[in-house]
Parts: sequence; C-alpha cells; structure tokens
Amino acid sequence: MLCGMHILIIEDDAETAEYLARGLQEGGHVTELAADGDTGLQRARTQHYDALIVDRMLPGLDGLSLLSELRAAGNTTPALFLTALADVEDRVAGLQTGADDYLAKPFAFAELQARLDAIVRRRDAPATATLLNVADLQLDRLQRRVTRAGRVINLQAREFRLLEYLMQHAGQVVTRTMLLEQVWGYHFDPQTNVIDVHISRLRAKLEHDFDTPLLHTVRGAGYCLREPD
Amino acid sequence: MLYAGLFCLLTVCCLALVYWGTMNEIRTQIDAGLRAETDALLRLYQVRGAVALLQTIDARSTPASLAQSDTGDSGPRQYLLTDTNGKVLAGTLDHWPFKATTGWDTLHLIAQGHEPGLDSARHYRLRAHVLLLPNGEHLLVGQSLNETDELRDQMLTLMLIVAVLILGAGLGGGWWIGRSVVRRLEQVTNAADRIMAGDLAQRIPETVRGDDEFSLLAHKLNAMLERIELLMRNTREVTENVAHDLRSPLTRLRGAAEMALLKGDSERQREALRKAIEQTDDIVATLNAILNIAQIESNARRDRATVDMSSICHDAADLYEALAENNSIQFESVIPDGITLPGNRQLIAQAVGNLLDNAIKYTPAGGRVLLTLSRQANRVTVQVSDTGSGIPADMREKVMQRFVRLDTSRSKPGNGLGLSLVKAVADQHAASVTLEDNHPGLRVSIVFSCEVNS
Repeated sequence: MLCGMHILIIEDDAETAEYLARGLQEGGHVTELAADGDTGLQRARTQHYDALIVDRMLPGLDGLSLLSELRAAGNTTPALFLTALADVEDRVAGLQTGADDYLAKPFAFAELQARLDAIVRRRDAPATATLLNVADLQLDRLQRRVTRAGRVINLQAREFRLLEYLMQHAGQVVTRTMLLEQVWGYHFDPQTNVIDVHISRLRAKLEHDFDTPLLHTVRGAGYCLREPD
Repeated sequence: MLYAGLFCLLTVCCLALVYWGTMNEIRTQIDAGLRAETDALLRLYQVRGAVALLQTIDARSTPASLAQSDTGDSGPRQYLLTDTNGKVLAGTLDHWPFKATTGWDTLHLIAQGHEPGLDSARHYRLRAHVLLLPNGEHLLVGQSLNETDELRDQMLTLMLIVAVLILGAGLGGGWWIGRSVVRRLEQVTNAADRIMAGDLAQRIPETVRGDDEFSLLAHKLNAMLERIELLMRNTREVTENVAHDLRSPLTRLRGAAEMALLKGDSERQREALRKAIEQTDDIVATLNAILNIAQIESNARRDRATVDMSSICHDAADLYEALAENNSIQFESVIPDGITLPGNRQLIAQAVGNLLDNAIKYTPAGGRVLLTLSRQANRVTVQVSDTGSGIPADMREKVMQRFVRLDTSRSKPGNGLGLSLVKAVADQHAASVTLEDNHPGLRVSIVFSCEVNS
C-alpha cells in the first residue's frame, strides 16, 4: 500500500470529509480539505498534490467544471470523483472530463483506498512493460505465456487478463468491482460474488504444487497479488 | 362574434353585387332597344321626310300597334313628336314632359287613362331618348320602366328572403357548432379538474360515434391518463415495497449496532460492527437496484448502438460458468457468432447476467443450466433454462414485478429485483420476456425484434 501521499479532498459534506481524512491519515497519508469548488480549484492550482478526491455536487463551482478547468490548464494530478450520481451516463461524463476513476456513494473505504492506489500507481508505472514479474511468477504479454519458477501455467484467455491486471497492480489491494470493471467490462454489481470463484480457480492454478501463496484475499476489501514477505 | 359580423357583411355584399349587376344589364338592354328604335326613325326621316315620320309615329301610337311592340319584359314603347314650339304633332304622350332638348333621361310621369298598357292615374317612370331633328322638331322615344321596377321589387324581396335564410343558417349553425365545441371542451376541462382534485380514475367521455377529432382527442387523452395512472400505481407499489423491504435489513442493522454497544469484549464488538456494515451494504445494493430499474424505465431510449449479442453472451457465460462449476452444476452454452442488434450493451449484459445468476442460484447441485442465443429472421432470442425448482404457472407474471420472491423465508441471497430488471431492460428494448416450464425447471426467453442487419 502506498504511504505518505498528499491528498486534497474537495467535499462539502463535513462528516464525509472528516471520515475520508481520518481514514486516509490512518493509512499514512497527508490530507487537506476544501469545502467548496472555488477553494478546491484554487488549492489544486497553487499546490502540488499526489491525488485529488472530488465530490461532483459542490457549492460554487461543481466538480465537473472544476476538473475540466484543471485539465484545461494542463494539471494532470490523478483525480477520483466521489459522488451520489451513480448513473452510467454520469460516470461516462465524469471520466470524459478527465477523472481517472469514479466511485459512487456510499462506498466502502477499502474500495476508495484501492482505487486511489491504482490511479496513483498508474501514473508511476508504465503500462507497456512486456514482462511482468512477481516473485517467481512471470507473465509475458507478447507471447501470452505465464510461468512460475520456469514451469508453464496454462490459463484461459480471461484468466490471463485477470492475472495480468493483478500483476500490474502487484502489492496493491484490488477490489471485486475493479476486477469486474477492468477485466469483464461490467459496470454493475452481479448479485452473487462470481469474482471469488474466478479468483479461487486462478489461485488453484498458480499455487498448485507450490508452497508459497501469492494471491491473497484481503478481508472486507478484495485481493492482493504480492511477493511473499 | 367577429366571424359572425364578417359573415353577414360578406353575404350582404354578395347579394348587392348580384342586384347591381342585374339592374345594370336590364338598363343597358332597354337603352340599346331605344337607341335602335330612334336610329330607325331618324333614318326614315332622312330618307322619306318629316311627313312619313309623322305617319309612322301615328301608326305606331295606335293601341294595337303598341300592344304588338310590347317586348314583354319591358312594357310598351312611348312616342312623341313635337314641332319647334313644343306643340304635340303625334305620339302617345299628350304634352312635352321636360325641358331638355336632346339626350337620355329618366322621367317621372303620371299615367293617363288612355295610355295603353297602363292603369289610370298612376305614377310610373319612363326611360326616354330625345332627338332634335334637322327641321327643329323633337322626337322622343321612351320605354316605361314599370315592369323593370316590378322586377326590381320582386328581386329585392327574393334577396331579402335569401339573405335571411343564409344568415339564419350560417349564424345559427355556427352558434350550434360553437356551442357543441364549447360543451365538449367543458367535458375535458371538468375531467381535468376532477383529476387534479385527486381522482385519477376520471376519464373524458368519448362519444358513441367516436369518429370525429374530438373523440380521437378524448381517446388519446384517456390512453395517456391510463398510462399515467398505471405509472402512479407502480410508483406507489414500489414505494411501499421499498419501505417494506428495507425494514428488515434496517432492523438487522440496528440490532447489530446495539449488540456492538452492549458487548464488552472487543472481538465480539468488531464482529457485530462487521455485521452492521454487511447489512448496510445489503441496503445500498437494494437501493441501487431499485434506482437502476427506475432509471431504465424512465429513460425511454438511451445511448443506442449496435450491440454484439454473441460477445455479451460469451462474456456472461465466461463469468458464470465458473460459478456453476463451483456449485456442481453442469453449464452449457450455444452461442453462434455475429449476432448483433441495436441496444445498450451494459443493460443487456446485466439482464443476461441476472438470468444466469438466478438459474444458478435456484438449481441444485447436479443440475444443468443452458444458455442459448439464436436468430430467426428478425428475431433474436436469448434463452436461459435450468433444471431447478421452476416457477408455478400462476406465479410467472408475478415474479417479474418488483420484490416478488418465491421463497418467502428469503433464505437465498438477493433482493427480488433480478427479474424486474430483466423485464425493465426488455421493455426498454421493445423485447418480450417469457417464462416457461422446462420439465423440470424454468426456461426464460428474451425475444428482441429487430431489423435484419446481417
């Protein structure tokens, strides 16, 4: 998990803002609060932040306008929309404005943290690397081949994409909804946790005949692929 | 009122035009006749002299000759020849009636008893043409306007009757039509008033004949009211169901929170809090599902694109196949490539996902779930069949309503909104949903009708 990020929270609801700030601070981050759009824009323009959390409906300047002004001015700070407007169209509008992710209220804090980590990392790590490595596990994107300790593991197309996403975010918590969105392209919540089944299948293939687990379940949050301690 | 006035004015103008035209034509004809007669007499005078003229006029002035000259529609001619002193030489009149020497004139005379064709002592009008002959004598040829005047009187009377008839029929009919329009509009207004007062069951009366524009309008408005009433009833039912369905998880949430407060040791406290969060997630999921269905239903047609049904079904099969296998259910799919239709990918994917989710949820271990996609002519069918407990025939319509679940104990996870969403998505794509018996189990089909675009 990333630590020590400087995060600007632009949120007008004091309790939500407080909850966000406390949660992020416990995760080792430094937070700043702006309670309206204009203050938020001014801060985001004048100071450097590692990430922005923006509510869409704000007093004064609304979230969409705020972000489009920032992006127009060349500011590329990773930004996550946090909003009660959860319609597919609202989501599309948010992402088109230049948001890196979009999370509907109410949300689980673990979901927010995982998504925040993902968008900040995405800026750091080039997504174009041909070889992905986690411990003795290697994924070759060109040959579409997965090996562990040199031994080839046969994966179906979807399992390959699932592993690819997990390896891209190695060391980070990845939630079920993130996997549904990124691997299956589903922007809705299936009633049953179908993802769990896919993960346990993948895990069985990855860890069959190996002692060290790589793919971990993070209770109440999601999954994490990481090197053994 | 304005139209009534305009209508009257136009009618009067028309009649006046007819009157004026007719009178003018008669006058022209009389004048032409008189001119021809004077010309003939003048030629006689020029060729055969004054005496011959005198004799001719004398001859024409006898009652018998006058009767013969009567043209029928304009009465007998009148003649008068005077010398330079104004003394009457011949003719039907006994004195020179006016001072003018030559030209046209219309005279008012008193008829004498002996004047042919006329009763005694009566006023009449005479159209006259007077010539001054080269020898100083005056020649007058005239035509009584008596019959013309009678014709004119008759015509005026007739026109008056026609005017009364036209105005009566026009204004009366207009008033009657206007009144019936107002009356029918009043029916609409009254119905609207009653509906606004809260009586949603009110309808606008439709006439028995039902073929005029008003009946059509009433019919359309009633259809609209029907739809609104249905939506209102739906909304009310949903609100009641939401309130009902949220009460249980809220009760459990409250219970869990209370437990967390009561329990002393922190591990059990944490467990209670975790339960509380789980309940909250359930509530949020239910609310999201309701909102989702409401959005699908309210957005008539949103972002349509060509959707690859084959890929949707492949994805869904891929996602749920693992789940079926995990539950020891045999999963099969028959998905031909290249089937497309206009629609919304996310919504259709969600509907197909819900069908598979339900099928797997209600099929016991060892059962079978089958997903098929097929196209026949312009119909695309997605079908999910299972070997589960099925749905009794009388319940099949009902389960598509919101919150209806067959297991009243609600032991299985879910919010009872799965099939409602499928139905809403189908409605949005003008597709039909049918539930059939799979002997055993349930077979659900979504049938999309679309243009053949292979």
